[in-house]
Amino acid sequence: MPHIAIDNERFYYQQAGSGPDVVLIHAATSNMALWMFSGIMEALSSEFRVTAYDLRGHGMSDRTPTGYTSPEMAHDLAKLHQALNLQPAFLVGHSFGGVIGVHACLNYPETFEGVILSDTYFPGLSRIEPNLKKIPIWNKWRDLLGQVGTDVGEEVDFQKLFSMIAELKSEQMQTLEKMLDPFSMRWLTSLAHLAPTSCGKDIFSEAGLSEEKIRSLKKPLVALYDEHTAFSATRDFLKEHLTHCSVDSVPAANHLAPLENPNAFISLVKKHLCISLQLS
Amino acid sequence: MSSCVLDDLIALLRNFPSCRYSGALDAHIYFFKDLGMASIDAVVLAEMLEQFYGQKFPFSSFMKTLQEKSVRDLQLQELAEFIEKNLKVS
Repeated sequence: MPHIAIDNERFYYQQAGSGPDVVLIHAATSNMALWMFSGIMEALSSEFRVTAYDLRGHGMSDRTPTGYTSPEMAHDLAKLHQALNLQPAFLVGHSFGGVIGVHACLNYPETFEGVILSDTYFPGLSRIEPNLKKIPIWNKWRDLLGQVGTDVGEEVDFQKLFSMIAELKSEQMQTLEKMLDPFSMRWLTSLAHLAPTSCGKDIFSEAGLSEEKIRSLKKPLVALYDEHTAFSATRDFLKEHLTHCSVDSVPAANHLAPLENPNAFISLVKKHLCISLQLS
Repeated sequence: MSSCVLDDLIALLRNFPSCRYSGALDAHIYFFKDLGMASIDAVVLAEMLEQFYGQKFPFSSFMKTLQEKSVRDLQLQELAEFIEKNLKVS
């Protein structure tokens, strides 16, 4: 299996195709299977060398107690880029993967060419973004856990969510198994592995990516937000304040565009990669 | 469907690192529900199959098609049929 060691931690990755380098960054709580299930890895590989990897603590990469803030995970990405001997790469980041992508472009401008965001929420823009509580994934799991007698509260708190999943009793798990398809059930149980880590807190910390720092980004940024996004204020902020920002919308999607509308997502990613990299 | 590919698949799954299933493996076993696999296991198994057969398979298109049809699990038989259909004869 293709693992690569970075600062003594093992990261799982896969590559396909040839051409300009593109790196796909999945969201927190997800893994690189997202890119295979959405078909984007195969679709981009005819024109690009595509690298997808599991973030630390996710999928098949090593789980560490700490190290999940956006600058720390951008550092992992820069080291992965170096270890795989990639050319300056364009990034595609889903949700928190986009936060990592922006931090990577700011901290390693020689290494990364730009970033396509897929429905990204920035902790550093919480002042202007009122809709974090409307994020569907949070509401789905809060409601499901509520149905088995576990109240995670009103405030979005993934650290608490992970801990509560880890503490579910066997009868609660059995009830959830009846309510969920096997795929979703496996995903739910995988979240318990993040409970002993700082991941749930780290992904919602600003970690140096302030409003001012985001505004300072000079690399091309494509704000690809879903038609039914909760984060329209974030999208509008990026459009208004970033020098090289273009905006597009994925129809019939609500935070999970790569899975909810993969054909449109792939088409838009390809379009913006070609524009940004000036390919025909 | 030839049983050969299914036999290969079952042999690979018997040695699969995160497979917690201890019962008999056959064509009707479900990948996620019965074997307790997670999504990342599908990526790892795909890679193992490509190494075993020495060729690439269009797994991404296959998984995307299942996703579009809202298929949330698949039997080993379905996976074996996909492999056989795309197996290049050497």
